[in-house]
Amino acid sequence: MNLHAIRAIYLFEMARTFRTIWQSVVSPVISTSLYFVVFGAAIGSRIETVEGVSYGAFIVPGLIMLTVLQQSVTNAAFGIYFPKFVGTIYEILSAPVTVVEIVIGYVGAAATKALMIGLIILGTANLFVDLPIAHPVWMLAFLVMTTFSFAMLGFILGIWAKNFEQLNLVPMLVITPLVFLGGSFYSISMLPPVWQSITLFNPVVYLISGFRWSFFGMADVPVAASLAAIALFAGLCLVAIWAIFRTGWRLRS
Amino acid sequence: MTSIVSVQGLTKVFPGGLQALKGIDLEIEEGEVLSLLGPNGAGKTTLISIICGLTTASGGRVTVGGHDIARDFRAARELIGLVPQELHVESYEKVINTVRFTRGLFGKKPDDALIERILRDLTLWDKRDEKILALSGGMKRRVMIAKALAHEPRVLFLDEPTAGVDVELRQSMWQVMRKLKERGVTIILTTHYIEEAEAMADRVGVINHGELLLVEKTGQLMTRMGRKTLTVELAAPVSDLPETLARRGVTLGEDGSSLVYTYDTAAKQTGITDLLADIREAGLHLADLRTTQSSLEDIFVGLVTGSTQ
Ligand SMILES: Nc1ncnc2c1ncn2[C@@H]1O[C@H](COP(=O)(O)OP(=O)(O)O)[C@@H](O)[C@H]1O
Ligand SMILES: [Mg+2]
Repeated sequence: MNLHAIRAIYLFEMARTFRTIWQSVVSPVISTSLYFVVFGAAIGSRIETVEGVSYGAFIVPGLIMLTVLQQSVTNAAFGIYFPKFVGTIYEILSAPVTVVEIVIGYVGAAATKALMIGLIILGTANLFVDLPIAHPVWMLAFLVMTTFSFAMLGFILGIWAKNFEQLNLVPMLVITPLVFLGGSFYSISMLPPVWQSITLFNPVVYLISGFRWSFFGMADVPVAASLAAIALFAGLCLVAIWAIFRTGWRLRS
Repeated sequence: MTSIVSVQGLTKVFPGGLQALKGIDLEIEEGEVLSLLGPNGAGKTTLISIICGLTTASGGRVTVGGHDIARDFRAARELIGLVPQELHVESYEKVINTVRFTRGLFGKKPDDALIERILRDLTLWDKRDEKILALSGGMKRRVMIAKALAHEPRVLFLDEPTAGVDVELRQSMWQVMRKLKERGVTIILTTHYIEEAEAMADRVGVINHGELLLVEKTGQLMTRMGRKTLTVELAAPVSDLPETLARRGVTLGEDGSSLVYTYDTAAKQTGITDLLADIREAGLHLADLRTTQSSLEDIFVGLVTGSTQ
């Protein structure tokens, strides 16, 4: 293992993150607060509780997931797209590093940032609602697994993207709808039966369900299914990245 | 003689079908400065990119320090430093941080004393805390050299390091290269400037259309391929060239005040003795004699146009 390389990439990426830390933290905190005002206060006054949890608290895991998924994907995508764009990728490609080391460095840094933002949102949410956390360790574990697996997706996206439009498009067009339709703001059981089945094809459902379980001890799908889904997703991403470096797709001529 | 880089039958066909390398064989000795000369599009950058891992070869084999660049890429790449042709920099990063980054990336533990020495050698030490975007083009290129040296490579590839830099900077880059050579670093340098190859290189390789036309010691190449021109200044100008001299291929210089004779330095008989006798017989008086060696540039142009035809 080239530990010096992993450390170098990770610290370099974190330094880049911290140069713009205020932008990266302020905007999710503000938008989360807005969600609370709109969904929690406006809708919450009509729904009150979902499966025994106050609506304001019920939406917290979904809200955190929404931002954390977007952050993981975009951070990692930019992290690898940027050196490709300015040409400094030559250094990575000529370095004595393996795919695994590159991924740990870039994906690790992107996931760390997303995780930090997730925790900040959790803290912000705590100001608005009473938030019980039934399984804190699992809560963290779900966050870590989510940030890493979606940062891998973002990493693939960053290698695939040929321009900034494409880079922005996927999080906008894919991630956001998946999260909104993935039960962030409602319980799957509130949907008509047909939609309940269709929804099960949305991977984000498993994430949010598992994550919500770690807070309130109740889930739309079994926790084991959530874990399996994340593991499967992460595994697929890892294989894809390995194949990309193996073939040099969009990296080497 | 040990080769540190060994290239055998290397070919490259780009996806579009263009064959950029047509079976390159090249042994690079440890500690030498090898200059690759060739016109634009000859395949110099492609060759370097394959050795350094930026481009995948279509066929053939490359080893660096005895390590296969594909199978044993980690050991091979640790030995290599690369300064690519294009300027690629992290504009918003500080100079010293990018240099430290490269050292780590290549698997070496931090060594601030070494990095200070590299930056001082390249007169970048005063700029170490500046963002790269604030530097001039020449300074940016030095940053790229500093990065390439940060992990103490044994082989350094410089792809047109002095293209588009001013004379002063070129001189100081040559000085840096000489220092590295003294430390035993093997340097492979591509260039457009023949004078650069002439000044720096132990050996010269000429590439054209993806083929290595020759690799030879710089001095040897110049004696083998070089021609000399003998200019005879006459005491008094003449209007017509005597027939005996014209037959020898002598031409009359400007305003008839000199005779010009070109000969092959490698030939057994240069014909100079006979020529001088003929000059005397023709009743001409010599004021001065001068010989000039053809430059590497002349040789190069001859080779490349020869291979194109
Ligand atoms: N990525 C690429 N795809 C297709 N053709 C390429 C690519 N890179 C270089 N070439 C072609 O390969 C040939 C050799 O290019 P290059 O190695 O850059 O030459 P040099 O460095 O000697 O100027 C040129 O004809 C160039 O157009
Ligand atoms: Mg080139």
